Amino acid sequence: MPVAARSIGEALVSIAGRQGVRDDAETLAAAAVDGLRPSWVVRPGSIDQLSGVLALAHDAALAVIPRGSGSALELGSPPARADLVVDLRGLDEVIEYNPADLTVTVQAGVSAGALAARLAPHRQWLALDPPGVAARTLGGIAATNASGPLRARYGTLRDLLLGVRFVQADGVVTWGGSKVVKSVSGYDVPKLMVGALGTLGVLAELTLRLHSRPDAESSWLVVLASPGEAQAFVERVIASPLQPSRIEIFNGEMLKLLSAPSSGAGVAVSIGSVAEAVREQGERLGAMAKIGRAQIAALPDEFWTAAESALTCPSGWTALHVVALADRLADTVGAIENAARTTAPRAEVRLSGCAALGTLRVLLGGASVAEIAAITTRVRHRIAAIGGSAVVARGTAELRKAVDPWGPIEPGSFALMRALRDEFDPRRVLNPGRYVGGL
Amino acid sequence: MPLSHAFLVALERIVGAGGLVQSLEGRLVYECDMHTFYKGAPDAVALPRRAEEVVAIVNLCRHERVPIVPRGSGTGLIGGAMAPLGGVMIGTNRMDRILAIDLPNRCATVEPGLINLFLTRAVASQGYFFAPDPSSQMVSSIGGNVATNAGGPHCLKYGITTNHVLGLDLVTGAGELVRLGGAAIERPGYDLVGAAVGSEGTFGIVTAVTVRLLHAAEAVKTILASFTTIEDASEAVSAIIAAGIVPAALEMLDELMIRAINEGTGAGYPKDAAAVLLIELDGPAAEVEAQGERAARICWERGALEVRVAADDAERALLWKGRKEAAGAVGRLAPTYLLQDAVVPRSRLPAIMRELAAIGARHRVQIANVFHAGDGNLHPLILYDDRVPEELERAKAANEELLRACIAMGGTVTGEHGVGMDKAKNLPFQYADADLNFMYRLRRVFDPEGIMNPGKLLPSHPACGEGFRPARPRVPDGAWI
Repeated sequence: MPVAARSIGEALVSIAGRQGVRDDAETLAAAAVDGLRPSWVVRPGSIDQLSGVLALAHDAALAVIPRGSGSALELGSPPARADLVVDLRGLDEVIEYNPADLTVTVQAGVSAGALAARLAPHRQWLALDPPGVAARTLGGIAATNASGPLRARYGTLRDLLLGVRFVQADGVVTWGGSKVVKSVSGYDVPKLMVGALGTLGVLAELTLRLHSRPDAESSWLVVLASPGEAQAFVERVIASPLQPSRIEIFNGEMLKLLSAPSSGAGVAVSIGSVAEAVREQGERLGAMAKIGRAQIAALPDEFWTAAESALTCPSGWTALHVVALADRLADTVGAIENAARTTAPRAEVRLSGCAALGTLRVLLGGASVAEIAAITTRVRHRIAAIGGSAVVARGTAELRKAVDPWGPIEPGSFALMRALRDEFDPRRVLNPGRYVGGL
Repeated sequence: MPLSHAFLVALERIVGAGGLVQSLEGRLVYECDMHTFYKGAPDAVALPRRAEEVVAIVNLCRHERVPIVPRGSGTGLIGGAMAPLGGVMIGTNRMDRILAIDLPNRCATVEPGLINLFLTRAVASQGYFFAPDPSSQMVSSIGGNVATNAGGPHCLKYGITTNHVLGLDLVTGAGELVRLGGAAIERPGYDLVGAAVGSEGTFGIVTAVTVRLLHAAEAVKTILASFTTIEDASEAVSAIIAAGIVPAALEMLDELMIRAINEGTGAGYPKDAAAVLLIELDGPAAEVEAQGERAARICWERGALEVRVAADDAERALLWKGRKEAAGAVGRLAPTYLLQDAVVPRSRLPAIMRELAAIGARHRVQIANVFHAGDGNLHPLILYDDRVPEELERAKAANEELLRACIAMGGTVTGEHGVGMDKAKNLPFQYADADLNFMYRLRRVFDPEGIMNPGKLLPSHPACGEGFRPARPRVPDGAWI
């Protein structure tokens, strides 16, 4: 090992302690990102330590890959360099929970499951349910803007992040936003950090907006002949006074996985409210299903647990995050299934998505890299005109080299994104090469 | 510095003679917004009709380093739409078309000069509405709402403007027209729309906005509860929220405000009430019915003097009448006032109300309160007589102490009005140098030459124009060299 490298190791130890720095072969191999093995894995135990580590990395021109639970390491382009993996799970403190204000401040390494356990006695929750949510860290969910079916009512972390403490590429600890539910003091820095994959700063502490759990909640599955009928049903719900907390569409493959009646499409709807209102809205939902001569059945409470595992990308599969428009839902589903059928006839395609918002999660199995790349490109082409996008949310490094995992970005927007990256991380310390357009 | 003849000729060539205001009396109309404290007339006012004209104006100003101040209806409350350094004001009033209404995708694209309420009127018959409802919504422009990230009484449930903006066409300070976001709910890359909403014209000028439309609620219930102490009313607020009810609006008036309103409009609030709570619920009828009963019961349990439930729209309007006329009613108590917009965590409402009373007593000023209790957003009106110079000084001292007290309780200096000229100096109460430095650099990305609305939103730094320089952590000395 060259002398310079050993000295960096010593400097890291002086910042994060002997326990916080690993450079044994086994740890480094396990921490590899897209085949790039780092030279160190550092687990800071405080924001000060994180700040010190980044300042050192900045001055020594090291590339830093921040990580939480590691569930989203297959998002984005393979990194250009990876010297230092910074494991944020050491920042695992719930700093301040104010049930009366429906706010909580946590360190970024707290898992969503640990937070949920803290909130449950107060009948409160962070209303966010990306697949595998319990194990994921809140910092990771924020950095990737991950969401699930609850997005229909509660939005994503973009809507739930009130304040954020982050460490800039040069080690400067910075705060943006506020700790109250309403603030317009200065620029909305938290919005900029959500979904930025840590490229403008490593997320260290989050202040989150919570919700009370509804008194009662029920869910129903409406089984329809085709995605077109599913869209028509969803449009009736959207145009009604009903306020679903989930309105998730499933294709036939997903229905099979959920042990639902075999059909072309299904829409699962949840209503959360006071008991009387849940019952009454359920009746109206039934009436709306009848208009389309669809079957409707009440779902057991465990349904969404089963759905979460069905939505989880199996190992070796690819996940695409597709954003279209609500009124192009059936069209987009058709385009995806058609692209898969003609490109990779043996592929399995599981589709689900937030029907009211026009987002789809596509899980592809049994297709080659070239086939998935071709499907992705065709889908992008199909929805480009409506401003849609298809991001590879999970896939092999090979795939993410064969096709840009982010897809094209409008040039005017991209020029501003590059200028932001140049301003806040000109040396490309943070996740070099992983973000949009190779930023 | 007055504009050169050549510059004015070039400006007139872009917007036409009818789109350019040059006369002194014409320009004086634009010297302030609703915060009349801050005055500064622009050297010229340009009123473009199209985005291309805006691009041309920005580039003209950029080459001559002339400051630009964007302005909508001028109803802001922060000294944002005025020209402290002169320069060119760009008024968006003539860009007021609805460009597209897309009900299947529940969104609309409009020009920035469109009046907020006009959008709701355009879609109301189909059962939709645009949620942000600042009190100025009958006159304020959507571009102005976007610039200030405006709120309103109903943002407790529906969120502030940023939660309703999907896309922007923005002419940056660099003179580039960029399209950010759009009807599709998200796209890869940084959330530039989220960053630009609330940037108060310092990133550039918006020439089109894509906003969400919401389905109108099936039922609305308005309840008015009065209490003998502000503590009881605050506890009722906490209990309603703790019961899992998210009212569309949850407003409170204090004793001084109740008196002013009673004397003014005859809203008929109980005379011995020290606090009035206005609760509005909306949503599916069964939900509103059940939660309304529960909210009323909570008010009785917390010792309400009286609980009134509006039976119909006319009664509902009557209950709101006093609240809507609050700012005007204090005119009976004093010739003028300073209006604040600070926020505290909702659970600290009783504590901040006690603190406000103490601050008022200390500085010998009356403070009347009307506020969005549901989200802890205070609107204290510090009353003073502007004919007595010393009173203004006392009011200002009380104002600053009040802001500091809110920050000390974990709050923020502005909840929905914005920063502008008025609160730029107060941001350091809330943010460290590193935080402000980040914001300076963010601004520079959108406006490299610093021509967009200079002097607003961020405080000027005494030492360096660059902004606040943060201290970096110490790196172990030369360890790796």
